[in-house]
Amino acid sequence: MSQDSSFLTGFPRSPGPSGHTGDFPNTAGFLNHNINCFNINNVANVAVADDRSEILTWLSPLEPRLRHYDIQTRRVENVGDWLLRTEQFRRWRSGSSSSSGGGGRGESQKATMFCSGNPGVGKTYIR
Amino acid sequence: MLRCRNFSSLVIDTLGDGTDEAAEKDITVACFYFDFAAQQEQSAAGMLAALLKQVVSGLEPIPKEIVDVFREQKKIIGGRRLQVPEIVKMLGGFSSSRRTFFCLDALDECAAAERAKILRSLRDIIKVSSTARVFMTGRPHVGDEVEKNLPGRVTAVSISPRKDDIIRYIRRKLAEDSTSDEMDERLEAEIVKRIPETVSEM
Repeated sequence: MSQDSSFLTGFPRSPGPSGHTGDFPNTAGFLNHNINCFNINNVANVAVADDRSEILTWLSPLEPRLRHYDIQTRRVENVGDWLLRTEQFRRWRSGSSSSSGGGGRGESQKATMFCSGNPGVGKTYIR
Repeated sequence: MLRCRNFSSLVIDTLGDGTDEAAEKDITVACFYFDFAAQQEQSAAGMLAALLKQVVSGLEPIPKEIVDVFREQKKIIGGRRLQVPEIVKMLGGFSSSRRTFFCLDALDECAAAERAKILRSLRDIIKVSSTARVFMTGRPHVGDEVEKNLPGRVTAVSISPRKDDIIRYIRRKLAEDSTSDEMDERLEAEIVKRIPETVSEM
């Protein structure tokens, strides 16, 4: 019961101790709490594991990884490797953790990298 | 934006392979590919939720705050999905405890109104998380929007085809060509020589 009462305090409209003394001024509220307690006590431990895929699907039905694998297979080896070798990319990737000296604060704040490609460059010739 | 797709895909794989000398083991890479044809489902909320899903799928167990909302919404008829502010808060929190890369491809293919929401959300995430990194590709015209919404936080790089990249690509395409009866070494050499010349000014 001590476990339940700590749970009940989480509710903004908790009937408080008077709810348990026998006079039920708010019967509907009391029943609701009981229902909630039932759910939590019986489901909490099992649900985390069982609901995993259900929760993930609820978060998003989209599967961007599949698109990634599709593009990955069509990628030409070594094309674009130069970008990975640029100072900008390395700095962006390793971030503030590697350049932890007090100096380069402005650079380390650049958490975002934007690569722009011109339309017409590449698309026409490289398809 | 085939070329940008290539770059996004390459970067995503490189980030995930742990070859970075400074990298910790615990790295999360979440990606999203925008597509004109899918603008309906690619809203700001939809995209951010897809990122969150990828981040959460690497966590064991699923964080309590998500399980709680999930259970709570199940009581509502039809349920409800997470709203942008909730997702942003969660992404900021989860990306603070481990290095997290968000890679968004072809930002220009996202509806303009949604793109603005997305950029503001990313700004809020990197504001609270020093270990979050964002990689984006897109046509140059969205570069201004990116700068405007993430002032001082953007490293901009212009991608133009390199001659050696073009040659690699052409060789691969020629190798795949099914009508290769007509192809001989001289013709291939000619193609490999000529096409890069026409784009060499880039």
